[in-house]
Amino acid sequence: MTLAGILLLVIGVLWIGGGTLWLLARRRYKIYQIPSFAMDLIGFPVEIAQSIWGRGAVPYAFLLPNMLIFGCFTFSPMILNFFVSMTDGTSISLFDRPWIGFAKYTEIFDCESIFVPKSCSNAGFNFWTGMFNTLWFVAIQVPILCAVALITALVVNKNIKGRGLWRAMFFYPVMLSPVVIANIWNWVLHRKGVLNEAIGGASDTMTGLAGMAGFDMVMTILLAVVLMFVSERALRFGKIPALPWTALFGALFAMLFAWANPLSLLELPGSFWVGVALASVLCWMVSVQHPFARHLFFVFCAAAALLLLSIQFDAVFDFGRYSPVNWLVTPNTNWPFFWLVFVFTWSHMGFYMLILLAGLQAIPSDLYEAAKMDATSAPRTFYRITLPLVMPTLTVVVVLSLIRSFQIFDEVYLLTGGGPGRDTYMIVQNFYEVAFTNSVPDYGQAAAGSVLMAVVIAVFTFFQLWITRRQSEF
Amino acid sequence: MGRVTTFLTRTNGGTDSAQKIGVTDVLAYSYLLLGVLIILVPVFWTFFSSLKPERAIDNFDTRLLPIAQIEADIEGVGTKTVWEYTAEDGTVTDVYKAGPTRRETDVAPINDPTNIEAVDRDRLAPSEEMRVATENYLDPILKRNGQTNFQFGTYLFNSVFITVAATLITLLINAMAAFALSKYRFKGRLTFTLLIVATLLIPSSIILVSLFFVVWTFGIFGSLWGVIIPAAATPTGVFLLRQYMLTIPDELLEAARMDAASEWRIFWRIVLPLSLPALSVLAILSVIWRWNDFLWPLIVLISDPAKHTIQLGLTQYAGEFDQDFHYILAMTVVSLIPITLVFIWLQRFITTGIATTGLK
Repeated sequence: MTLAGILLLVIGVLWIGGGTLWLLARRRYKIYQIPSFAMDLIGFPVEIAQSIWGRGAVPYAFLLPNMLIFGCFTFSPMILNFFVSMTDGTSISLFDRPWIGFAKYTEIFDCESIFVPKSCSNAGFNFWTGMFNTLWFVAIQVPILCAVALITALVVNKNIKGRGLWRAMFFYPVMLSPVVIANIWNWVLHRKGVLNEAIGGASDTMTGLAGMAGFDMVMTILLAVVLMFVSERALRFGKIPALPWTALFGALFAMLFAWANPLSLLELPGSFWVGVALASVLCWMVSVQHPFARHLFFVFCAAAALLLLSIQFDAVFDFGRYSPVNWLVTPNTNWPFFWLVFVFTWSHMGFYMLILLAGLQAIPSDLYEAAKMDATSAPRTFYRITLPLVMPTLTVVVVLSLIRSFQIFDEVYLLTGGGPGRDTYMIVQNFYEVAFTNSVPDYGQAAAGSVLMAVVIAVFTFFQLWITRRQSEF
Repeated sequence: MGRVTTFLTRTNGGTDSAQKIGVTDVLAYSYLLLGVLIILVPVFWTFFSSLKPERAIDNFDTRLLPIAQIEADIEGVGTKTVWEYTAEDGTVTDVYKAGPTRRETDVAPINDPTNIEAVDRDRLAPSEEMRVATENYLDPILKRNGQTNFQFGTYLFNSVFITVAATLITLLINAMAAFALSKYRFKGRLTFTLLIVATLLIPSSIILVSLFFVVWTFGIFGSLWGVIIPAAATPTGVFLLRQYMLTIPDELLEAARMDAASEWRIFWRIVLPLSLPALSVLAILSVIWRWNDFLWPLIVLISDPAKHTIQLGLTQYAGEFDQDFHYILAMTVVSLIPITLVFIWLQRFITTGIATTGLK
């Protein structure tokens, strides 16, 4: 029996035995009061404290269990981390670990350049690969997660049918365990899984449609109608075309330009980018309200008509045979990373959505009514009312999701295992493997890594709070 | 025409106040549709897949219904898949393939396995049946067909034990701390509050290694208590409850003190029942955290299979039998069911509870 066991036994006997005697000596209990007696027994140390030291001691007694656990399992490990990171060996007994100073840290920094993990020592390579992957992940994940959560919160905050049900649906993945999530997505993303099947089916259908007689003509007429509708809308009012419709027209024009590929006549590549550039020029002219914007718009309409006539749609929509992608294990593609971001967003978005929803609901509705009276447009209402007022909540969400994304482990470990190669190898996986799964556990190395990661997280959090301090005061 | 479109796009409300469906409504509903597609379809797809017979799973049959080719046990030959052979006169016989598939394939009728003849490959079609494969669920749970590695009962017990014990302890000690911080004025109250805020900033993955040392020193490494105790005190819980308890009027406490109630009795007779809404939010959060916890149990409990939680058991199972997708899917669905039922039962409460009480 361990020391802790004996100690527990003594405390248990004293608590139950002593407590029973003490309570029974002071109070009378009837048979039906057994639950009440049990609760009194649990709180008996608080009562003893009250009877010995008076009411002033009671709050300390109430705080004791919580602080004891915080002290033992949160604060002391934090301090112990520094000690462990400066000791060597594989022993679990703390007194049995030789002191080596900063050797573990120097090993991590033993690089020609820390930005090229390959030039590091072994430990350094693993640490910096994990660190940079995690930083990349955080940099991509946090904006996407926050944007998606905000959009979802805005949508479910609208007056739509079955609002509660939709909220529940978006929150549901938060309830699922990482193992379940990983199994579900492994199954969907398998090479022969349902996603590849669906994409293959869609591309086959498109190719089949494109092969049909008259497809060219139908597509040309369809697009011509759409283009006429959009340009009519854009040119309807005033001298200057309307910007939103111009933007839509620009997108269509860029698409037509890419498909018609006029540069291929000169045997040059890059039609797509030229189309995008031309469309942006048009949008820019319209947005600065240039006097020739309307004329330019007509020129673009004529060009679009010409382009439309020159496109061979059955060639554009012939995708050929779709070869299934092995989403999670193909190296040197960004697919594993993409799906990681996707699955992480999928599974955590609901929680942040609820927090943002609470923030949105706290915005007084008379502001929106005033905006409506002034016939404010929807985007302006969003930028001038919703966004500034939801900013404090958004800050909280950014900080929380940043700390959460930094610690990503479960999803990666179960979906890709850090692979292919080291493409999705995250920092917490590095600690876990170094300390617990390697044949020779190196606790010192893992502890040194965690200290460095704590520094990075602290810097990030404070930087974040410093940047957003003005909004928070708002 | 105009009236028809007005009729079709009108939202509810009287004839005067009714508005037409705007662009934003269309966008909102298409976003919700996308949400259904991305969130619910994978889950339902997993559920329907788990009902398919092994053969359909192994062939990655992407039909929704559990349809699979029939397998028959043929005397002297073994288990073979059944094909339907349509003869030129239109008669259909159930046959099995007695040789490799070529343009002229050797087949023999099921009820006359020795009568082998060569037939045209194009006249063979798989003989399929629709059958819900309950064995996917029952084999691992009842330990049939050599599926003895998935100790479902043990895993369930461990998971439930950890979840229930940890939630009870969390509720009790967090409520005690919150009571002290909200209803007493004492020296060091600010210090204690700041200490608890500080724990909010220490992510658990940073103290992973040294927490392992601490838990080992306490002698609870490898036992369920090693998972339950370290995370029992949660800063989130303390703040959530403290915020709520601040709204309980002090007069109630004073009245109880007049009646000579001890402080402990005030706590659990007056304050606890009154803070039930906040307590239930914390209880739900704690259940979600504990049921889905993965990394820390992985470190503490992995070496002893009798101590695995459902999550660990499922991971080990999926790692061991990479090919037995039909069992993995079924067990995934099994571990998904309890939390889904709880969620469906309490969904309105959970979403509004977290949105209003939690994290303000």
